[in-house]
Formats: sequence, structure tokens, C-alpha cells
Amino acid sequence: MLEARQMRITILFGLPALVFMAIIFLYPILGVFNQSLHTIDGLFTWEGYVELWGSRLFSKVLLNTFEISFEATVLTLLLAYPIAYYLAKQEPRARAFLMVLILLPFWTSILVKSFAFTVVLGEHGTINSLITLLPGIDRGPKMLFNRMGVMIGLTHFFIPFMVFPILTSLLAQNPDLAKAAQLMGSGPVRIFTRITLPLSMPGVMAGSLLVFIISLGFFITPALLGGRKDLMMANLVDFYTRETLNWTLASSISVILLVLSLFLIFLLSRVPGGKSVLGEGN
Amino acid sequence: MAAVEKPVGSAGSPAAIFLKVTAWFGFLFLLMPSFIVVPMSFGNQYEMVFPPDSFSTYLYEQFFFQSNWMDATFLSFRVAISSTILALVLGVPAAYSIVRGTYPGKRYVAMFLMSPILVPIIVIALGLYLYFASLGIVGTEIGLIFAHTMFTTPFVIVTSMAGLRHVDQSLETAATIMGAGVMQTFFKVTLPLLKPAMFAGALFAFLMSFDEVVIAYFIADTGRMTLPVKMFNSIQWEISPVLAAVSALLTVLSLFVCVLAASFQKKS
Repeated sequence: MLEARQMRITILFGLPALVFMAIIFLYPILGVFNQSLHTIDGLFTWEGYVELWGSRLFSKVLLNTFEISFEATVLTLLLAYPIAYYLAKQEPRARAFLMVLILLPFWTSILVKSFAFTVVLGEHGTINSLITLLPGIDRGPKMLFNRMGVMIGLTHFFIPFMVFPILTSLLAQNPDLAKAAQLMGSGPVRIFTRITLPLSMPGVMAGSLLVFIISLGFFITPALLGGRKDLMMANLVDFYTRETLNWTLASSISVILLVLSLFLIFLLSRVPGGKSVLGEGN
Repeated sequence: MAAVEKPVGSAGSPAAIFLKVTAWFGFLFLLMPSFIVVPMSFGNQYEMVFPPDSFSTYLYEQFFFQSNWMDATFLSFRVAISSTILALVLGVPAAYSIVRGTYPGKRYVAMFLMSPILVPIIVIALGLYLYFASLGIVGTEIGLIFAHTMFTTPFVIVTSMAGLRHVDQSLETAATIMGAGVMQTFFKVTLPLLKPAMFAGALFAFLMSFDEVVIAYFIADTGRMTLPVKMFNSIQWEISPVLAAVSALLTVLSLFVCVLAASFQKKS
């Protein structure tokens, strides 16, 4: 071991990053708090928050945000759990290969995905062209620029975030438990519902909370695949910042979003399995 | 870890078949965008449909020679490379400080340096926009580089911390016993051993910056758009067919990074 006194010097190694983050991250975030309490001319005001409190647009968007985030989380869970379970059942080598099928979309630009969805889901898109081939149907459902488009886009983005923690908690299970249950006469369904599923709940909880938190601040997908009725909080921030130049309102919404997210992250750090999702390996 | 044991829905049972079908539906859904953009990129400029009904390299020619897409691409490359280098310079020593350091308050240093991951990106984007507006550097390349450095540094720190835990500390101790100082040990012993983790971190930082759109959308101006911002605008307003070629190239880039990252994990 290096001498403890000597190792104190290592605080200097962290100093450049600390200074940089203070200037480029902390200061701007504090600036948002500050701006939410000042008019654009620099006068102190509560008006931003007061206006949001009475705003029908904001309450609609807030409701939208929670609704969309909740629905997207449930939909993601429904698809991600079978994927994770299927992966967990594979031999390690097959699993390593199949993981690429999760990692590639994970590392694919959200704009590539959004573009692909506008082509596939559009009025004359791939899916609707296929549907209209069926006899008696000359018009497919509208899947773009509405809630359905947002749901498909968000679910696509979120699945990897849900698969990883669930897979981790499935792989951490002792396989002897299932074997013992089988020896004692339990069928596969019973083993799943009584052993595998309950033991994977930490992964489910952590993954769901994580997805819900990311979803609350989502901007791209509702902007590109949603309609006017599917605005989320982030889109409203953008609207007030660029369209109406009302920085006070934009900042007030951001502060509300930030406080909500931090509260949920605090919850996440408390649920079993949440620590690993947050990457607090210490 | 061994795979979950076979009995749970052994092959052929209805439950196992249901599981397999659902999982593969999921895989296909996940891969669908990557699959369709490549054939589409060889389509023509008139119709944005999948499957395309003709074959041409027209869209690639448009992308490389006939449009201002290349300006955006070069800007994205410059910003991604610069911010990755900066993130390494800041992040690797910071990770060393967090893993090996013995000073009080270390936990809080780590928490603070990671906190950009926890804040919704739109809040960061607005904060930077207001801050850069007050400094008059909205729309500048240096603003983008700083912003993306802030965005990627936490991830470089995470990968470097993981790498440091695998670096044998007794080698560092040996160096100091033989008279090397903290600095010399760090540069001559630790850094060379940390190369794989640094490379992986750099790869991810590069791709994160290259694909980042929300911050860039807020702090770039219309004359200087990064590639993702140009794509965002194009999808929102016109849906240029060139998007198919760009998307195909980005898919190849992602695939490349995935394979590289996977081969690194195998090595370490």
C-alpha cells in the first residue's frame, strides 16, 4: 500500500474534474433555479410558478407526462421480462451472442430509430401497406404523430434499460432452488410464479423506476413521433425557451422536473437492486 | 453464472414456446430500425418506403458530395474527438482519485462528479443554453465541446473506476517502495495497465457525444448544426431521403462500436 499520507495527494487528481463540473454543470443548473425566480430583465418574481399552478396547458402536459411514462414503463416491462428470462435460460455462449441484439439498439442513435419509425408507421408506411393488402381493409390505423407512435418509440428505446437489471437479478438466482422445487414435484409454471418471479422483483423494481425516471424528461420521441396532444414536460421547456422566449416559465418547469426526478432517484437508491442500476459500485 | 436450470418450461411445452416467441418478437422489434435503414439507403430520392423498389447509390452521393450534410458530420466528429480527449484527461485522474484516494469527503466527490447522469438532460440543456447565452458562446464549437465533455466525463469515470479495480495495487506499491512518487507511479505504472478500460471509455464517450442531440439542439444555432441536430430538424420538417443513407452509416458505426466493445470485454 502507498502511504496513507501520500495518498491524500490524490485529491489533486480529482481537482480538474471538480472545477470543470462546477463551472459547466453545477453553475448552469443553479442558473436554471435562479432564472425560474427572475423575469428576463432580472427582477425577482414568483410569477413563473404561480402561472404554472393555474395553467391548464401545464396541468395537461404534467398529466400527459405521467400517463405516457407509466404506460411506457408497463409496456416495456411486458416485453423486456420475457426477453431477459429467455436470455437467462441460454447457455453463456448463446447468451453472449444474443446480448448483441440488445446492445446494438442500445448504442443506435435515437434519430436513426425515429427516422425508421416514421417510415414504418406512417400513413403509407410499411405496416399500413401490409394491412391494406388484407381483403376488406383499405385504411390502416393511424400510428404516427399520436400516442401510439410515442409508445412504440419510447418502448423501443427503454427495453435495454429494463432488460439489464432484470437479467442481472435472474442470473443471480441459485439454480438449485428451481431444481429442488422440481424434485418436490412443482411444475414449470409453479416454479416460475413461486420462485423465479418473486426473486427477480428487485430487478423489475429497479428497471421500472429507472425507465420511469428517464421517461419523465424525454424530449426527442414525443417531439418526432407524437402529435400536439402528446407534449411532455421537456417539450414544453423547449417551447417556452425557443418559441415564446419565456425563460422564467421554461426554468420553472425544469426545476419541477428536476425535483421530481431527484425524488424518484432517491427512491431508486432505496429499492433493492437500485444501487447497481445507479452504478454505485463502491 | 450458470444458465437458469432447464426444468422451468422445458423445450416444447406451451409456456416455453410462448416465451421463445415473445422474446424473438422483442429482438425483431429492437433490430427493426437497423434492419430497414440499410436497404432503404440504396433506394431513390422520390419515395421513402420500405422495402425500396429500386437500387441506387444516389442517396450516398447526395450525402457525401451534394449537400451540407458533410459539414454537420465533420462538426460532429470534431466535437466528439475533442470532448472525448478532454473527458479522458479529466475523468481518468478523477477515477484514480476516487478509487485510490484516502481523503475525507471522497464519497461526495464521487457523487458530485457522477451527478450529470442523474439530472434530466433537458434541464442540463436549458441550463447550458442560458449560461452560454450570457457568455455569448451559443452556437460555438468550443461551447459544444465543453458541454459534451461534461456529458461524457461521468461515463469515462465509471469505466475507469471499474478498470482500476482490476489493476493490481501491489504493482503500484512496488513502484513506490522503489522510490517512485505518486505522479510517477500514476503515469508509469497505473496508466499503462489501465489502457483497455481507457480505450473502452473513450469509445463510449465518442459515440455518446457523436449521437447526443438534446444539448446540441439547445446550444447549436441554425448555421452550425451537429449531425444529430440536422437529423432531428430533417425528421421534424422535411424528411429528407438522405436520412436513410445517414442512418445506415450510423448503424454501421454503432455495430462497429458494439463489436469492438465486446472484443474488449472478452480480453479483460
